[in-house]
Amino acid sequence: MSDLDLERLGEMWRADPEPAEMDALRRSAQTVARRARWGQAVDYAIALLVAGVVVYLALSNPEADTLLVGGAAILVLLGGQIRQRRLREVELRSLTGTAEEMLDQSIERLRTSRRHNRWSLVCLGPAMFVGYGLASTTGRERLAADPTVGAIWLGAIIAVMAALVIYLLSSLRNQKRELERLTALRQSYANETDQPTA
Amino acid sequence: MAANGESDGDRPPPFERIVADHGALISRIAMSYEADAGLREDLTQQIFLAIWQALPSYRGDASLKTFIARIAQNRAISFVARQVRQAPVAEIPERLEADAPDPEQSAMDASDRRVLLDATRRLPLPQREVIVLVLEGFSYPEIAEMLDIAPNALALRLSRAKAALKSMMEQSR
Repeated sequence: MSDLDLERLGEMWRADPEPAEMDALRRSAQTVARRARWGQAVDYAIALLVAGVVVYLALSNPEADTLLVGGAAILVLLGGQIRQRRLREVELRSLTGTAEEMLDQSIERLRTSRRHNRWSLVCLGPAMFVGYGLASTTGRERLAADPTVGAIWLGAIIAVMAALVIYLLSSLRNQKRELERLTALRQSYANETDQPTA
Repeated sequence: MAANGESDGDRPPPFERIVADHGALISRIAMSYEADAGLREDLTQQIFLAIWQALPSYRGDASLKTFIARIAQNRAISFVARQVRQAPVAEIPERLEADAPDPEQSAMDASDRRVLLDATRRLPLPQREVIVLVLEGFSYPEIAEMLDIAPNALALRLSRAKAALKSMMEQSR
């Protein structure tokens, strides 16, 4: 057993920070609060603006298709807000829970994200072939008239696909590293609970 | 308004009051997890933002200090977990004020404080979490509740953390 005097160390630890340090802290907190309030206000303003524009367009042209598109736009907006709120709730639970719960949630989120990225990578090849097939079928006459346009399009598509593949591979590599770190950290918490004192 | 930033009935206190009352606690927690000054500033801002977002959900079932410490620790742990590099041992304000009553004593305190902080930063995260809460003056039942572990598991972790901290502090001196 250690004879470390935690009470004395605690008193030293809790010594008041310098006034300059506290001022910097207050400024930092004010900046954060101001940005957060602005962010909230901008979110509300955008939601109101989009809803207003949709309602105005629907009222000024009360056709069935306008109402349908307007209704769909509002549903998408509402869906986005609900999704945002759910994400915030999950984030909040992880912040106010224990470190183990937070790590478990982070690991789960990372695994889901990796699955999505792997799936995107797998789908990229077939999607490219399908896209190229469709483009060559629908634009056969234009391509025949000017083969350079076809070559430019093909080059551009291959460049975008290559960039996407590189991005996905790099994300997968970074996520793998992060997953290893988080799993090791989670394991260290499990070990702290399981192992008896040496 | 209740003293020390505690909630007034069911309503949480304003953010500005929390910063005034618990800013030092937040600063110390950030300091015990991140040594680099630039990254620490980033971490502190992330902690403030997390508190700002979580504040409306505060219901007063634990003390406000507990609520804030828990958020700050969790944010700090996730911040550190995402850093690829090793945490460097870096500076700490030395608190050598010109008007300090005893400069020699202040210098000793600053040096001891630096040793304590450096040693705390080198502890594994589960042990660091416990030591920081103990140093912040939380009682053992409060810590056990915050970490959601049994008292004997806390005693075990604390015992191991104290031994590691002592060894590291002795090496640093």
